[in-house]
Amino acid sequence: MSYAYLFKYIIIGDTGVGKSCLLLQFTDKRFQPVHDLTIGVEFGARMITIDNKPIKLQIWDTAGQESFRSITRSYYRGAAGALLVYDITRRETFNHLASWLEDARQHANANMTIMLIGNKCDLAHRRAVSTEEGEQFAKEHGLIFMEASAKTAQNVEEAFIKTAATIYKKIQDGVFDVSNESYGIKVGYGGIPGPSGGRDGASSQAGGCCS
Amino acid sequence: MDAATELKSFVGGSLTLASKLLLVAITLYDLAVKSFVGGVEMKRMDLVSGYKGVVGLVFGNENSTSSEDSYVERLLDRISNGVLADDRRSAMTELQAVVAESKAGQLAFGAMGFPVIMGVLKEERDDVEMVRGALETLVSALTPLDHVKGPKNEIQPALMNTDLLSRESESISLLLSLLSEDDFYVRYYTLQILTALLTNSPNRLQEAILTIPRGITRLMDMLMDREVIRNEALLLLTYLTREAEEIQKIVVFEGAFEKIFSIIIEEGGSEGGVVVQDCLELLNNLLRSNASNQILLRETMGFDSLISILKLRGSAYSFTQQKTINLLSVLETFNLLIMGGSEADPGRDANKLTNMTVLIQKKVLDHLLTLGVESQWAPVAVRCAALRCIGDLIASHPKNLDAISSKVLGEEPQVEPALNSILRIILRTSSVQEFIAADHIFKSFCEKNSDGQTMLASTLIPQPLSMNHAPLEEDVNMSFGSMLLRGLTLGESDGDLEACCRAASVLSHILKDNMHCKERVVRIELEAPMPSLGVAEPLLHRMVRYLALASSMKNKDGKSGTAGYVQLVILKLLVTWLADCPTAVHCFLDSRPHLTYLLELVSNTSVTVCTRGLAAVLLGECVLYNKSSDSGKDAFTVVDSLSQKIGLTSYFLKFDEMQKSFLFASVKPTQSHKPLTRSTAASMAEIEDVDENDLSDQKNEDHPILSSMLDAHFVSLIKRLEADIRENIVEVYSRPKSEVAVVPAELEQKSGEGDKEYIKRLKAFVEKQCSEIQKLIGRNATLAEDLAKTGGSGSIQAEHRTSGASERVQAETLRRDLQEASQRLEMLKAENTKIESESSMYQNLAAKMESDLKSLSDAYNTLEQANFHLEKEVKALKSGGSSVCPDVEAIKAEAREEAQKESEVELNDLLVCLGQEQSKVERLSARLLELGEDVDKLLEGVGDDMGLPEDDEEEED
Repeated sequence: MSYAYLFKYIIIGDTGVGKSCLLLQFTDKRFQPVHDLTIGVEFGARMITIDNKPIKLQIWDTAGQESFRSITRSYYRGAAGALLVYDITRRETFNHLASWLEDARQHANANMTIMLIGNKCDLAHRRAVSTEEGEQFAKEHGLIFMEASAKTAQNVEEAFIKTAATIYKKIQDGVFDVSNESYGIKVGYGGIPGPSGGRDGASSQAGGCCS
Repeated sequence: MDAATELKSFVGGSLTLASKLLLVAITLYDLAVKSFVGGVEMKRMDLVSGYKGVVGLVFGNENSTSSEDSYVERLLDRISNGVLADDRRSAMTELQAVVAESKAGQLAFGAMGFPVIMGVLKEERDDVEMVRGALETLVSALTPLDHVKGPKNEIQPALMNTDLLSRESESISLLLSLLSEDDFYVRYYTLQILTALLTNSPNRLQEAILTIPRGITRLMDMLMDREVIRNEALLLLTYLTREAEEIQKIVVFEGAFEKIFSIIIEEGGSEGGVVVQDCLELLNNLLRSNASNQILLRETMGFDSLISILKLRGSAYSFTQQKTINLLSVLETFNLLIMGGSEADPGRDANKLTNMTVLIQKKVLDHLLTLGVESQWAPVAVRCAALRCIGDLIASHPKNLDAISSKVLGEEPQVEPALNSILRIILRTSSVQEFIAADHIFKSFCEKNSDGQTMLASTLIPQPLSMNHAPLEEDVNMSFGSMLLRGLTLGESDGDLEACCRAASVLSHILKDNMHCKERVVRIELEAPMPSLGVAEPLLHRMVRYLALASSMKNKDGKSGTAGYVQLVILKLLVTWLADCPTAVHCFLDSRPHLTYLLELVSNTSVTVCTRGLAAVLLGECVLYNKSSDSGKDAFTVVDSLSQKIGLTSYFLKFDEMQKSFLFASVKPTQSHKPLTRSTAASMAEIEDVDENDLSDQKNEDHPILSSMLDAHFVSLIKRLEADIRENIVEVYSRPKSEVAVVPAELEQKSGEGDKEYIKRLKAFVEKQCSEIQKLIGRNATLAEDLAKTGGSGSIQAEHRTSGASERVQAETLRRDLQEASQRLEMLKAENTKIESESSMYQNLAAKMESDLKSLSDAYNTLEQANFHLEKEVKALKSGGSSVCPDVEAIKAEAREEAQKESEVELNDLLVCLGQEQSKVERLSARLLELGEDVDKLLEGVGDDMGLPEDDEEEED
């Protein structure tokens, strides 16, 4: 349970692009061809390692349907990273990216790291959005970009980890005030197991002295 | 100009006022209808007087019922239109006072005040004193005034005001924005207002807060504020998160778990005060039926912080009421985790199992055992909750079952298995609740755990009598089985069957669905109480003897308190035991009086319906699982005596009666757990020992033991058995087994057999047949009697006497069906009348509602009329004052007349002028003619080019 840092992620994007499947593939290494529509928000967690440091990812997978937007917006501000997902076989999900991005810029903190993911890249024969277009969009808006497949697990790990690595680098560069938890980053307790005794003030200290 | 704008804004203001008043009236009506529908007889007077005062305001003062209305109105006017800051502030103070003092003040404020106060909050943020005053006024307007007890159904203005305020989501976001103000009181009052709104209109507020960006974040920030604010925010969040899954998740996203646990630690854990209780209530709200949040807690923080609250530190011997409630709350948290997510959640089971596994890994069992088993000083409520929690934690979880069965308690050398300690609680506790809770552990332990059952059963070895008479305290060194056996037979000396009954309950768990254990325990024989007086007796027989003893006890002292459930518990044991177990049936029937007693019990009208029903089931098992071929104890004999002594119809009726009884009908698959809140906590902490004497006075059916004993599993077992028994008995009955198989060979003289022997043998054969015939005749007679008893016409009887047994049985079944059908008919009839009366009631209700609605719509019409008047007035005012209005036309007419007159006069003058000019022209023309000028030519030029004036000029020239 011990970690050096804890990052909060959100996954956003149109309904049906495979947000929940990406999360499931990442946390459980499973693929569910038929997934129920997400209601509101679902939670998943996993530990990863970056620069030899254990990092806990808390991931909130949001419902893509418009009717849940007011609920899902509540999660933007406190997130350190966002995976913005579209479906490479459905052009309209790509076209909606701008509005998702606008939403994120409006409600999230300015330093949120956004990873653009073109999901379902296993379905090359039905492709409706080219890789170049995705790259171009990401470049224009300052996002990291990857095409992935929740079904074959291609690039799924990489997407989550690369986002974390970017956030980690931002911390090293001093972009964040890590004692302020509202950025979606929490300093952990190094190697000391169990958070029971910890208070926020003390914890940032303990983060340094890994045992 | 200024006056006109003022006038306009005043009129506009009163228009919105009118619509507000309408809203008030509607709200009043809402509330009235609510209390009406709630079954409370609503006094219409309240409704009427309630809005009369309000409506009175619209018409000015002639109809006003309270002086507060005009007073509040004046104050509001001073606040909104006052010029001097001090005057406005003092008006606010006065307003707060009048609203805090009386319901009339609250009502008047609700009708008029909100726009003014909200205006202050919106526009005058810089004036901290004004904002504070406004907020304090709102707090007063929303706080029910209880010190003056009005009639029960009177409308609470405070409730109405919360309803009015919460209707507008704009005011909610305004209030939330005030939480960012620096002033302490501003934040404090704002939280109080939000809490009041949440208490009365939770759903509306929950929805509103969800739609306000960062609304919940703001509230969460309050948890890190200074103590008073933090505590207030805790309460607010508790209300906010109640049954609102999305809000629960956002609150957790905002780091609620960390904050909650850090507050709990700060406040001293279970030793802490009511703040700890509030924290735990909030925690439970966040985890209840919310798998997502449970996973987050488990995966992120882990359960350590939670478990550490259970640890008793320092003053482990003193339990204040607050500490008791805190512990009960944290035990509820464990319960919620063990239940997993909501029923509908597909991932519930997986989550539940993981929670259970992790909890045991984290040694939560140790703490629960300490609390439930080893803390004699802990209040019963806490001990019971801990015991129940242990039961839930192990149920159907193989690893956790192993964990409890290998757990030992105490310190070397005085250690004993935890299960023994729990059994001791069952046998010895004076609290029925505690017995039920401890019994729940064994029930859970034995559920789908045949290894565990076998392990417990293997220790059931009878001890020499001397051991049984050893003092109770020495049971520390006894095995589980010896303790249980001693408990079962403890009543032998003093006739108190309480311990026996409790031990029987445990034994029935051990035997349930486990053939190996059933057969093993059948073989157990107990020494006779006095070795000189008889032989060893099977345990099963001893149980039957206690069953009989229990009923005789009741007959003796006349009260049915304990006897009723003692019988039921022993019957449950026997029913469980005999199910699927021919060996046990054989053992039961070994003693002839058992059957007789059972037959008596089935038809005994002085015992409860359930006792008779279970006895009937037991009797049925003696048929269903009877593999015996000995005459006298085979299935046929049992059916035979059954039909003779009871009659099949009335026998089967016992099942139906039992099924319909309260206990069976009220069995629910899972017991719903009531959440622990501030209001219920105190009573939950005080379940203390339920007095046995109180219980015995209650009706048997309500006894808590019975509801725990007749659980869903047992009820479904009974239902399954019943169906099989019915089928089986009918089958046995319709194919009577002939004792004498007609073997023609027997009639032949055997070779080498002497005549005498042959005759003797034949004679014996005939005798045998003769007795058989006698028996059959007897049986036939009973059947006929039975038939006669249960009704049916003589002709059918006669017909049936000649027909085969199967037909008789069929007839029997048909008759039973008929009886059932007629019963059902009666029931339906009763239901019908009930429904009819209900419908007429509803009709009345509807009529009343309609009349209410009508009076409301009348009120609305009057309002509209007033509105219309006002509008007209506005028009009048716009056109320049009411008095001028009619004169305008007159003046206009006058003016027009005058103008007309004037123009006529002018015209006349002109005409005269023209005439004069004409004559002048004529005269001049004549003169010109005289002078020899061409007058016509000259005049032509004049008319065309210059017209008359030129003429005039010419003429003047």
